[in-house]
Amino acid sequence: MCVGLAAKIISVKDGVAMVDCTGAKREISAELLDDLEPGDYVMVHAGCAIAKITDDDKSETEKVLKENLA
Amino acid sequence: MTSINSTADMRNFLETYDGPAVRIMEVCGTHTHEIFRQGIRRFLSPKINLISGPGCPVCVTPAAYIDEAVYLALEKGCTLTTFGDLVRVPGNVKSLQQARAEGGKVKIVYSPIDAEKYAKDHPEEQVVFLSVGFETTTPSDVIAVKNAVRDGLDNFSLLTANKTMPGAYEAMASSTDAYLYPGHVHAIIGTKLCRDLAERGVSGTIAGFTGDELLAALAVTVKNVSEGKPFFVNAYPRVVTDEGSPAAVALVDKFMKPCDAEWRGIGVIPDSGVELRDEYAAYDARKKYSVPKMEFERKTACKCGIVLQGKILPSECPLFGKACNPDHPVGACMVSDEGACSAFYMYGGQS
Repeated sequence: MCVGLAAKIISVKDGVAMVDCTGAKREISAELLDDLEPGDYVMVHAGCAIAKITDDDKSETEKVLKENLA
Repeated sequence: MTSINSTADMRNFLETYDGPAVRIMEVCGTHTHEIFRQGIRRFLSPKINLISGPGCPVCVTPAAYIDEAVYLALEKGCTLTTFGDLVRVPGNVKSLQQARAEGGKVKIVYSPIDAEKYAKDHPEEQVVFLSVGFETTTPSDVIAVKNAVRDGLDNFSLLTANKTMPGAYEAMASSTDAYLYPGHVHAIIGTKLCRDLAERGVSGTIAGFTGDELLAALAVTVKNVSEGKPFFVNAYPRVVTDEGSPAAVALVDKFMKPCDAEWRGIGVIPDSGVELRDEYAAYDARKKYSVPKMEFERKTACKCGIVLQGKILPSECPLFGKACNPDHPVGACMVSDEGACSAFYMYGGQS
């Protein structure tokens, strides 16, 4: 149950968003996040977008390594 | 130390590490599974000991909670709505699956928000959502209640067993040298707590879930532990910001208040849970249906309790893989996909 899924916003209206999660489309609550636009990526937990994210873990890891292990 | 710049460097570092022994508790059940699934455990140096912690909400839910849910289904005729992995968790008397076989109505939903919609569409049923989870799930539970208030529903309520992590970090601190903090809990609550813990000598790294994110978090953790100074690193900054989600925290605070919570196998940890505030008592199934305290406790040889505290490996439980397996789980850790026993069983981790 407690699994977060990254999803792409297709549309958003009145605190409810349609998202694409690796091909599966579903409606989720977007009321915790302001300024969401189609194309943004969010982390979804239990039908609710909890954070706006980037879908790029590569540059993130490079930064973490550079700051901590270089 | 030579610098670590790539996936291969991280793997090499974790494989050949030969410094002081390091114990790392991955708090989050999804971390446990991803570390197995990506084969990371297989190449870790024997000096790096991963401990699977209490971060699977289904696993830390006490059996008496299942008894309460069974009571609501069979004695009060409520329709239970729940995440799927709770259905097979054994209670002291029976599981929800058994309650369903006896005529209880148990419906699996994707989210509490969907449960509220179901209640709206079925005004003739009394719908209870089994509200189990950590900081990541509680905002959805609260949104469901908020929607029920908006829709004027009098047939929707929560049976709460919502838990919060800070108390558990304190309670388990002596079991590990550093935590691999659950990324999505901190997407909600931010990083202040971790910084405060580091000042009190409790170390940890917030980790993401992809292969590179996990390797980076582990490498950073091992290096820092081996240097012997308390530390905190956010290795998941694409999702976790320092402030977290103030909107989620404020929303939860409006509807919920802190309470003591019982963690299966660990016991009661003060202020480690949340329940609905008194003004929302009409949406609290325990109050609405005057659920009696469930006293009966079944004794089994299941060792989930000490597995959750990282004191033994799942494979050291006498039932593991024999009387207890995914088809016939005895303890919750074998039921949920996020459970440590399930992960060890699924990926053949015997040691």
